Amino acid sequence: MYLSLNWLKDFVDIPKKITPEELGLKLTMHTVEIDSVQKQSDKYKNVIVGKILEVNKHPNADKLRLAKVDIKKEVLDIVCGAPNIEPGQLVPVALVGAILPNGLEIKEAEIRGQKSCGMLCAEDELGLGEDHAGILILNEKSKIGQSFAEYLKIEDVIFEVDNKSITNRPDLWSHYGMARDIATFLRTNTTKKFEQFSKPKIKVDAEKVKLEVTVEDFKLCPRYMGVVMEGIKIESSPKWLQDRLISVGVRPINNIVDATNYVMFELGQPLHAFDQSLVGKIIVRRAKEKEEIETLDGVKRQLDKNDLVIADSKKAIAIAGVMGGANSEINDNTTTIILESANFDFVSIRKTSQKLGLRSEASMRFEKSLDPNLCEIALSRAVNLIKEICPKSKLVSNVADEKNFNLNQGPIELDLSWLNNFIGDVIKKEEVIDILNRLGFSCEDKNEEIFVTVPTWRATKDISIREDLAEEVARIYGYDNLKLTMPQVAMSAPETIPEKELVDKIKNILSGGASLSEVYNYSFVGEELLRKLNIDFSKHIRLANPIAAQHTMLRQNLAPNLFLNIKTNQPRYDIVKIFEIGNVYLGMTGEIAKDGGGEEKLPYQEKRLGIVIAGGVKDNVFAKAKGVIEYLMANLDLNVEYNVAGSEVTPPWANKNKVAKIKIGQRVIGFASVIDKKVAGGLGIKKECAVVEVSLKELLETIKGRGDKRYKEFDKFPPVIRDLAFVVNEKVLYNDIKNEIINFHEYIKEVELFDVFQGGKVGEGNKNLAFHIIYQADRTMTAKEVDDLQQKLIKKMEEKFEAKVRDF
Amino acid sequence: MKEQLIEIKKNILDALNDVKDLAFLEKLEKKYLGRKGEFTQALRKLAQLSGEAKKEVGSLANEIKKDIEKKFVETRNNLEGKTDKKGFIDVTLPGEKIERGHLHPITLVQRELEDIFKKMGFMFLDGPELESDYFCFEALNIPYHHPARDMQDTFYIDHKNEKGEFDLVMRTHTSPVQVRAMLKYGAPLRCIAPGRVYRCEAIDACHEHTFDQMEGLMIDKNISLDNLIAVMKELINGIFGRKIETRVRPGYFPFVEPGIELDIKCTICGGTGCPSCKHSGWLELLPAGMVHPNVLKYGGVDPNVYSGFAFGLGFTRLVMMRYGIGDIRFFNSGDLRFLEQF
Repeated sequence: MYLSLNWLKDFVDIPKKITPEELGLKLTMHTVEIDSVQKQSDKYKNVIVGKILEVNKHPNADKLRLAKVDIKKEVLDIVCGAPNIEPGQLVPVALVGAILPNGLEIKEAEIRGQKSCGMLCAEDELGLGEDHAGILILNEKSKIGQSFAEYLKIEDVIFEVDNKSITNRPDLWSHYGMARDIATFLRTNTTKKFEQFSKPKIKVDAEKVKLEVTVEDFKLCPRYMGVVMEGIKIESSPKWLQDRLISVGVRPINNIVDATNYVMFELGQPLHAFDQSLVGKIIVRRAKEKEEIETLDGVKRQLDKNDLVIADSKKAIAIAGVMGGANSEINDNTTTIILESANFDFVSIRKTSQKLGLRSEASMRFEKSLDPNLCEIALSRAVNLIKEICPKSKLVSNVADEKNFNLNQGPIELDLSWLNNFIGDVIKKEEVIDILNRLGFSCEDKNEEIFVTVPTWRATKDISIREDLAEEVARIYGYDNLKLTMPQVAMSAPETIPEKELVDKIKNILSGGASLSEVYNYSFVGEELLRKLNIDFSKHIRLANPIAAQHTMLRQNLAPNLFLNIKTNQPRYDIVKIFEIGNVYLGMTGEIAKDGGGEEKLPYQEKRLGIVIAGGVKDNVFAKAKGVIEYLMANLDLNVEYNVAGSEVTPPWANKNKVAKIKIGQRVIGFASVIDKKVAGGLGIKKECAVVEVSLKELLETIKGRGDKRYKEFDKFPPVIRDLAFVVNEKVLYNDIKNEIINFHEYIKEVELFDVFQGGKVGEGNKNLAFHIIYQADRTMTAKEVDDLQQKLIKKMEEKFEAKVRDF
Repeated sequence: MKEQLIEIKKNILDALNDVKDLAFLEKLEKKYLGRKGEFTQALRKLAQLSGEAKKEVGSLANEIKKDIEKKFVETRNNLEGKTDKKGFIDVTLPGEKIERGHLHPITLVQRELEDIFKKMGFMFLDGPELESDYFCFEALNIPYHHPARDMQDTFYIDHKNEKGEFDLVMRTHTSPVQVRAMLKYGAPLRCIAPGRVYRCEAIDACHEHTFDQMEGLMIDKNISLDNLIAVMKELINGIFGRKIETRVRPGYFPFVEPGIELDIKCTICGGTGCPSCKHSGWLELLPAGMVHPNVLKYGGVDPNVYSGFAFGLGFTRLVMMRYGIGDIRFFNSGDLRFLEQF
């Protein structure tokens, strides 16, 4: 929303010593955020008045002419195409460097071989009208070299208000309302005009017509006022009115529409004018199911019973508070109008305007919950304004006023010691009362307590509790003026959250010793990506209002977006090693409460760890990725094991031969895998990619309840280490062999694989495994004893796995 | 016997005088002093002697052995010394490379903030990113048709409740953690909740639909507005490691009353005005306020006994300021050229 300084001055005395910038800053610090303070004269920076000395033909173009223009400092050569220039004229000259209101930037140019140092401007180029027929010729009062803004007497300053910061303040959507706050924080006075407006009087000229109004639902329409005015002549508004509308960004249309708009920007109350000849008696009712209305913008809209309409006995003539209907629109032949000033329920207006996708200046104000008393102030002002700009017009009806509303004005009990405790600084009672009074509250002083009555314009929704009053006092007093103290509370060590600790640990381990880099990816995925990965997305949670095709669903795995990371980085890196810890969202019910009752639950979501290692064929990324997992788990004091993954954990994009379940004890916490070559190719990935995905929830379960680490005594007796290497069929699993060995005898304490060799001299389809076997007893073992055990072990290996032992 | 030993000694010392390199020295060492070396063999014969002779020769042999060993050490030192002096070593060569990984810049700054709050006794909480309308809005004093809902462009989940309304959202702020935390831990309470939030907004250099915030909440007896501002200033100074000029102005958020905005003097232009601060000289950094009594009630906390403050730090923005990152899209790009800088 825009505020005009001149308009504000109608309602509040602003001391001369306060610059517009200062006023903008004070508004920001006490009331609303001001996004910009713009002097209107800045629009015409580098546009000055010049006098045409000579006009000559352009040697190379029939339609162009060369003008010599005196701008006092110097004489400029300017090429001009307009037919109406003659020597002696005073004209607006845009100098090199000027940026005109239509966005045109003036540069030094050569036009058909002739230098042109500026531009002579037409009306439209200056944003003053539509005319482009010729250069704007200025009157004789203008002086050569004078700035164009000075010539136009433009001195207004426009403040741009951040609308979000007045969401809670229905009273601030106008110059009148804003003036009240300004007067409060500047400690100055509102004007006579402000006081007059606050006490509305609507004078009926001659009650010739009876305006009948029926409100069917006062909940949706707490107040409806209307009058009939005749003697209307539709024409353009006077320039002063147009200028003000333009200054706040509104396009003038005709005097009646302009007057209603003017009053809205002045007082914050949306008004509507109907052509009386097109309307019978006024009925405010809910729309009928599928009732149609064509709105002023020419669009036919279908309504339902939740929408409120203004109607006559035959038809709807407006969507209440949102937009008028085409069937009752003011037109050039209108002579009599019905002027509406009404109050509508904010929820209803909001629902309707959202449903129809129609947000107007009116609906924006209504949905903030306007004061029904404002209807009268605004109607009074509008009648007077129309009489002023349409001198033959007369109010010829009763003042219809159907109302049924009840505002909760309190009083609110404001305990001074509570207030000072809550704010944390002592603000004197006199000052508290003064601030509240200036804002329009009335205060009854009862020693420690003040009983504060809320003014109607703040009583709709805005102010209802003592904390609301505390804000009023504190913001006007100035937050930066408060004496600050740190909280004085009992000391206590914060509780720690195990998942958070685990996440931090993992990030350190992976970015540290494992030398991976952390990425953050979107929580969203799109169909194209999932399709390329063969992922069934029928059960993915979808966004109702996605913003991009690649972000329509919630991810169920981290892998898809990690693959995209590989694509991003593959041109520049031989090996890419990254990880992410992020949420996934599954299409089933989870454990987190959906509301305060806790019966219903949110969809299941959990944190996962994803790792991708991508490299060349020789890099053996699968082993590298598993190495990272083992390193991570070792750092977490966990023993990790891999199992062959069944189809239930095999991702649809995986190379089926390279998928392993990751297990801690009996718990499966995730998988490690390699992307299928063809799938990778389809994605444009040129590297081998090994992927690990681990559920942090499962991982946490394995750690939960685990006691502190205990120091273990060194072994008193020396271990005996024997190596054992044998050839087995390649399909015999390491896991099985290892378990067989470790469980073979209680003296075998550790088994460590130190070499794997496949193919070549061990024969096709075979592999050679070499282990260190560590024997340890509670006494010193003799060589023979160990040899005997080892022999038995070998025999067992031969029997169980058809292993062929190799000699060392 | 004696002569033999002296002979050997002479041979050894002569030979050592001619040694030119370490390899030859080692050969000599083996030849004379090794297990089957000449001197060792000679010493073995000592065992065959007896009485005085053994004693006499024995002490001579010992002396000779000391001399020889000394000479060996000297020669070795000599040779090694020469090598050290002769051979040029390029000390500017790099060492053996140890690869390093990188944490995401958001993680890094998050940890700095967490440290500040840990010292002040705040606990760290997390909350669901796919959140209910109830916790994201309603329990925060933003009922279904409240205009404040327009302040945040919400991603709704394609799921309607019995009333036909979308009732699941991607959380638009970290504030839902406030009520969840109160319900779980009650009062008094001190917590921060860093995390991801979502807004239905097209992406460009300055806008993202996915970014990070950090919620803070403190509830206790006698928590006041000036406490809030004091803690915020402490936080800002902690973040930047120096005193930063701030200002506090009104701000509207339905879940706090009063609501404030804490701005800092623009760290880029120093307050003179630049595009980053929209030429105002100030950067909006910390929306905050006193927890609205209705929100305390939703959290099961008695507003007549307790009061509290809450704040929401625009985290991604802070990281951009901290490192001078001009394009918000880098954060979710996974581009290592970016990530490896941190």
